[in-house]
Amino acid sequence: MPITLDNPLAIYFAVVAGALGLWLMMPKARQTYRVAGGVIAAAGLGLLWLGTYAALDFADLGLSTTAFVYQYIFSAIGIGSAALVITATKPVHSALWFVLVVLASAGLFLTLSAEFMAFAMVIIYGGAILVTYMFVIMLAANAGGPNDPGEDEVFDIRARTPGAAIAAGFLLLAVLLTLSFDATRAPNPAAAAAPDAVIIEEILPNRTAAAVRARIDAEIADVNPTTDAFIHQADPDRLSNVEVVGLDLFMAHPLGIELAGIILLVSLIGAVVIAKTRVEDHPEPRPSGAPHPADQAATAEASA
Amino acid sequence: MIGALPPMPALAVALSEAALGHFLTTGAILFVLGLIGFVTRRNLIVMFLCTEMMFQGVVVSLIAFSVYHGNVTGQTFVIFVLTIAAAEAALALGLVVMLFRRRRTLDAEAWATLHD
Amino acid sequence: MTAVDLVKLIPWLPALAAVYCGLAAVDRRLSKAAGWVCVASIFAAFALTVGVFTDATPGVFDNDKHAAQHEATIQLVADEANDHADDHAGHDDHAHGEAKSRPGELVSHTVTFLPWIRVAGLQANIAYFIDPLTLIMMLVITGVGGLIATYAVGYMAHDAGYARFFMAVSLFIFAMLHLVMADNLILLYLGWEGVGLCSYLLIGHYYKHKVAVDAAKKAFIVNRIGDLGFALGIFLIYNELGSVRFDDILPAAQAIVEGRVDAPAALMFAPFLLMLGAFGKSAQLPLSVWLPDAMSGPTPVSALVHAATMVTAGVYLVARLTPVFQIAPGAMETVALIGALTALYAATIALCSNDLKGVFAYSTISQLGFMFIGVAVLSVGGVFHLVTHAFFKALLFLAAGSVMHALAGSLDIRTMSGLGKRMPVTAGLMFVGCLALAGFPFTAGFFSKDLILGDAIALGLAQQGAWWALLAGGVGLLAAFLTAFYTFRLWFLVFLGPEKFVMGRGTGDNQREPMSDLEAAMIDVAEEEAHEIEAHGGHHATEPHEMPMWPMNLPLVLLAIASVIGGFVLHKVGVKYIDKMLEHSSQFMATPYPDHAYLLGMDAHLAVAIISSIIAIAGIALAYLCFGLNRDLGRSLGAATRPIGYVFEHGYFLDAIYAKLIVLPLRLKAFLLTAFDTLVIDWIVRLVGLIPVGLGLAMHRSQRGHLQGYGIGMIAGIAIFIFILYVATVA
Repeated sequence: MPITLDNPLAIYFAVVAGALGLWLMMPKARQTYRVAGGVIAAAGLGLLWLGTYAALDFADLGLSTTAFVYQYIFSAIGIGSAALVITATKPVHSALWFVLVVLASAGLFLTLSAEFMAFAMVIIYGGAILVTYMFVIMLAANAGGPNDPGEDEVFDIRARTPGAAIAAGFLLLAVLLTLSFDATRAPNPAAAAAPDAVIIEEILPNRTAAAVRARIDAEIADVNPTTDAFIHQADPDRLSNVEVVGLDLFMAHPLGIELAGIILLVSLIGAVVIAKTRVEDHPEPRPSGAPHPADQAATAEASA
Repeated sequence: MIGALPPMPALAVALSEAALGHFLTTGAILFVLGLIGFVTRRNLIVMFLCTEMMFQGVVVSLIAFSVYHGNVTGQTFVIFVLTIAAAEAALALGLVVMLFRRRRTLDAEAWATLHD
Repeated sequence: MTAVDLVKLIPWLPALAAVYCGLAAVDRRLSKAAGWVCVASIFAAFALTVGVFTDATPGVFDNDKHAAQHEATIQLVADEANDHADDHAGHDDHAHGEAKSRPGELVSHTVTFLPWIRVAGLQANIAYFIDPLTLIMMLVITGVGGLIATYAVGYMAHDAGYARFFMAVSLFIFAMLHLVMADNLILLYLGWEGVGLCSYLLIGHYYKHKVAVDAAKKAFIVNRIGDLGFALGIFLIYNELGSVRFDDILPAAQAIVEGRVDAPAALMFAPFLLMLGAFGKSAQLPLSVWLPDAMSGPTPVSALVHAATMVTAGVYLVARLTPVFQIAPGAMETVALIGALTALYAATIALCSNDLKGVFAYSTISQLGFMFIGVAVLSVGGVFHLVTHAFFKALLFLAAGSVMHALAGSLDIRTMSGLGKRMPVTAGLMFVGCLALAGFPFTAGFFSKDLILGDAIALGLAQQGAWWALLAGGVGLLAAFLTAFYTFRLWFLVFLGPEKFVMGRGTGDNQREPMSDLEAAMIDVAEEEAHEIEAHGGHHATEPHEMPMWPMNLPLVLLAIASVIGGFVLHKVGVKYIDKMLEHSSQFMATPYPDHAYLLGMDAHLAVAIISSIIAIAGIALAYLCFGLNRDLGRSLGAATRPIGYVFEHGYFLDAIYAKLIVLPLRLKAFLLTAFDTLVIDWIVRLVGLIPVGLGLAMHRSQRGHLQGYGIGMIAGIAIFIFILYVATVA
């Protein structure tokens, strides 16, 4: 059953407050009200949660109340860090705040008992990808640029059209939230008549837990004894999250794995090609549109 | 068949709709903040960082839906999202470095050459 | 494969030459041979035609028992054979041809080259209908055409558009052969338009001169009027008779004329519509105005296209479709009277023209009028005169071209005198041509013209109510007298008397104003040629000189011989080729007119022959008196008839009348439509064009290449889209 809110207007007030707060937080020429903006945005988030709190039924939450409280905490950390990612004036700070976003979302996954994804997220995002970002930031930012080291680049200090962007973005957010909390409308009779379980059984019968299980049974019939033994060592009542994900990944998505491998190979080759492309360094940033000195040199050679 | 397999419950938890709404809210906010960041920031690196943040929002939603439906495919899909994110990061950062060496700046405006 | 099948090749030889000359026009290295390739192809076609001629008409000359009788039973021999002509029934045709044929029987072969159109009931192949009339036309086109092309090799030698000229000439021969050889009206029309196109190209050969371009356009447009009638006539014939093939049309028309079949009422209009086409192509009143202007093409073109061949297509059409023309009462009468009127009209203009080529142009119109009288009274003379006229008119034009060439483009006969001493050969050749044109006894023109007038007057006397034939014959006699007079006026003025000439390229004190735009253009052309000659190390003459024997004078000599003995050989000597042949052509499938009449106590034909001889000699004598012996007499004669001479000299102001009556209203209409177009339509279009301009002005700020700006739009768009989708799904 879709949930309904007593006062859906709370969502929209929250969205407006969030938009206003974010706008104030945006890096601008005069950085006067950033803290105030942060407070307003936080108040907006609080208003949103207050508005949706009423609909919660703690008896039938699906997860423990403790876990749900952790959900609030991790969400707050994640959303706050995300706001700081996009409002920090130094790229290094943005990257660091983003690490916090990753950690907070990993925490959210833990509350959902998605342990494998939580750790994969921390290792791959927080570890590999973010380190690459940090490397690039250190390579590029303030490396012999026109400004003194340590001073913020002008393009980091000034956001581009923050008003329009925030308006559009929060319009999208309002729509998404309206979809999440179908507060203003009566339930769609068709959707009500077809609960998700029914949909899955009728439309995706091979995606139900029982079907997946049956398929695994069939596949395992001639699997080597090691796997067999591994499965039997597991808790007789439930498989761990890692096992479930692994089985699903390799049993139901073999083609996806191949394609992912190809994509990684292609990006590897692409990265090598990009890295090998020789580009002459230029001491001064040139006005756009002027011909490239290297191009000019090539033209001169060609004409000679 | 070597032996009787243990019964396979879908997943440990099954979210209620209200709880799902909270996770979706967080995912949507992360997504939208990443979007706004991508549009407003002029630093090429931060722009790509913001796209990663949009991935984060989507991943949160995916996992929440996975738990809600008791279906693990949502989590499996996140692995593919991670793959794409890694590939994108590798290529995008390589391009950023190349662009930086051309113009000696990370400003995206320096490449807006479609003037009238 | 019999020899008749060789006719397939005949028209395509000049087509190949046209391809070569077309390439030569692009690549100058091939240019030198272009003329000779053209000449060779035409003479090869001539040789093949001669071969086919003897093969295709067996039996025609075997039986001369009833040679002079036109009234014999008319039967179509070949019609069932032609039904399966597509199955290469050439052998069958040949077998029919072998049989002894009676006079009046059609001896024809249909040779299919390619299947062409076969839609519903309409069947038109690229097939050739070979009967004696076709063969006569083919011989004239290829024979005279070849001689003229030979002359042109010399005449055009220094022209910048040498290869282009011969491409058009080859193409013309190709189209003209299709015109006369066509097995159906559609193919005939194709050839008809093809010669029109080539005529346009050749008249406009000196396209840098406005007068030539205007003349080309005029010829084309005036012909459009006639061709519209022709096309409508073809539609009508197809609609009423269900076929466009001569094999079907001619017997059907014959049956209608003989009263065996009732004619559809609409078919009565067909002859008049076809007539319009014939009059347009053959420059008869009222569509005669284009031919004098067409003289701005090179002179060999005037000789080939606008004297010997193309302009006779109208005469050929009437001869070919004689049974069809007999369907409608009054059609043949109209043809004869228009022919007579045109003969007189053009002769009077030629009388007062001072333009060397203009005199011959009007004389061509006049002679075409004679031919129309001839075919209208079902005389052999119509086509016969076509043949002899091709000989002597080509000769006259080419000789005139020699004079013009020698005088560097000069055309004004008032500035020429006594050239006979400088150009004796040309003078002699032209004299022969003039004799033939004037109808001097026992020259070619005498026999043919006499036959026309004799048949016309005999018919007028013999048949009750044939006053029109009598009138046409009488007018023809008057025109014949004028012809003799104006022809020799020209010759005596140019070649006799004290030597006097003005070179077209005004050098020193010889400077003078050109007589007309045409003359100015011709002088310019001569000037360009002179530069061309100088550029190649030669030096051009500043005085008139005789033309070289080869390749220029020899064809003239051959034409001169034909002009003298052609009529005699073809008509009087031996087997009377022309009469015999035409008896077996489609022309004499028609119901003949009665033909026994007496005039002045003797056979009408003999009487007319004597009268026309006297008339011709009288005309020549008068011309000698006025312009050879005593030019003051000529001048005073001119002064005495000044007002009427003024009218003649300006061609009865026909051009001016047309300009006022037709061109002016059209221009007015065009002006109004242009004004509407520029003021209303254009502004509507412009306003429509302003909409995107305004939108662009309003929106170009958002399109400056800032990726992030586009991103914002995308986000908002997605938000709205999702919302609409949501509302639509839930509601």
